[in-house]
Amino acid sequence: MSEFLDMGGYAAYVWPSYGLTLVVVVLNIVWARRLLARSREEARRRLAMRVGGDT
Amino acid sequence: MASWTWFHRLGSPPYIYSLAARLTPWFAWPAAALILGGLYGGLVLAPPDYQQGDGFRIIYVHAPSAWMSLMVYMTMAISAGVGLIWRMKVAHAVAASCAPIGASFTFCALVTGSLWGQPMWGTFWEWDPRLTSELILLFLYLGYMGLRSAMEDVQRADRSSAVLAVVGIVNVPIIHYSVTWWKSLHQAPSVMKLARPAMPPSMLIPLLMMLLGFTLFFVAVLLVRLRGEVLSRERSASWIREAVSP
Amino acid sequence: MDRRDLIGGSRDVRTGGRALTPALAAARLTLVRDLRLAFRKRGQLVQPLVFFAIVTTLFPLAVSPELSRLRDIAPGVLWVAALLSSLLALEFLFRDDAHDGTLEQYALSGQSLTWLLFAKTVAHWLLTGLPLAVMAPLAGLSLGVPAAAIPGIVASVAVGSVALSLIGSVGAALTLAVKRSGALLSLLTLPLAMPVLIFGARATELAIKGGDFSAPLQLLAALAVLGITLAPLATAAAVRINLE
Repeated sequence: MSEFLDMGGYAAYVWPSYGLTLVVVVLNIVWARRLLARSREEARRRLAMRVGGDT
Repeated sequence: MASWTWFHRLGSPPYIYSLAARLTPWFAWPAAALILGGLYGGLVLAPPDYQQGDGFRIIYVHAPSAWMSLMVYMTMAISAGVGLIWRMKVAHAVAASCAPIGASFTFCALVTGSLWGQPMWGTFWEWDPRLTSELILLFLYLGYMGLRSAMEDVQRADRSSAVLAVVGIVNVPIIHYSVTWWKSLHQAPSVMKLARPAMPPSMLIPLLMMLLGFTLFFVAVLLVRLRGEVLSRERSASWIREAVSP
Repeated sequence: MDRRDLIGGSRDVRTGGRALTPALAAARLTLVRDLRLAFRKRGQLVQPLVFFAIVTTLFPLAVSPELSRLRDIAPGVLWVAALLSSLLALEFLFRDDAHDGTLEQYALSGQSLTWLLFAKTVAHWLLTGLPLAVMAPLAGLSLGVPAAAIPGIVASVAVGSVALSLIGSVGAALTLAVKRSGALLSLLTLPLAMPVLIFGARATELAIKGGDFSAPLQLLAALAVLGITLAPLATAAAVRINLE
């Protein structure tokens, strides 16, 4: 296992690369979900305002 | 005529919204499976490279990121062009969704490239033509996003940034060619010429899995973003009520 | 036989003339108007040139006064300075005309907006690119460039700045509706201008070394021709979008 983690001496380069890519992948998921949630929230608010204005 | 109905339906926001919601898991789960499989194959099963040892394993994250940076830009420019020509809101929404994804993976390709460069070239930054093109591509993405965020009106932002994306895609091959040409002039005979034998399948298959997995991941993230962008472009359509009801 | 050819020929010329003349005439008028306006404000006219001179002066102060070292970096200095000076005037390329409604009149005039904006871009090149091409050898001489390199420097800056003006016109049109667009304009324009920088600096470098600079000069010319064919269309589209 420690041999695997050592990556033949290249651990200092291999693992940060994989770590950064993981961060980018996760951030993309989080950002996309947050964008969707925010637009839904905003759309809901717009609808509520319109209903309020009608009555 | 009938053959064009699919095209018109693709231009309809409510249809796209529900289609995107239904399709997302069909891309997300295969992407996860392929990436996990590719990681196992790349980190564990593939043998160390005969020259670069285990350092070459960075390729399994660097190459897919670099591929994403270009492929996403292509997608962005093509849908921007479609949006300009046919005045399709949905196409503009696709283009707008692409930019942050592409920019983040371009950044990732740059950093992983320089992390790969440190043991291979002995320096974190080498003015290597591919890395330099990648850097300019990042600037193109940042310009696109900067232009969008500078404009209040969504429609104006859509159409202006679309012109920029189309101009950019015309320039990408020119930039790449000029940078390669520039490097070929200034380079002392290369220490690390990559005249290497074709990759054995045990190395190649994980790479292909990662490339495909990242592509599917892009589509899944794009579909989620697209729903958000489509919603924010519809001011008062009645279908929104259905879409946002919990 | 001869007569029919003659008649046919003359008719072709006439109809061709009819289709072309109004657009070209309008473009020519726009060009003359822009040049006339620019010459009324001479202070603004020389600003990019002064900027160019100042930037090239910075390098001997920052790097070293040794001419042999300056000669090595002269192509880069000249081209970066030319690129930045050409950017400097861009922000105002369409701005004043957008504010006082002139651009709107152009768009509504029934003349081809593409030609009119192309004329404005040509005016920008005549007022910045061409003077820079004349200035560049002077700046080059102060950086230790041999006099034999002057034709090459003039040619490369003159041709390259055509492409710079055209790329810049797209950026200026896109940022028309943006307040304080200077930084954004550079962010949009500079990445697109990198090929021009590469080929231009190479042509200048070869000219300084006394080599044959025709290959990079031809590549520059190719970029300029590509810019002439495509950039005005993008500029016109961008102006239309941002006028509303």
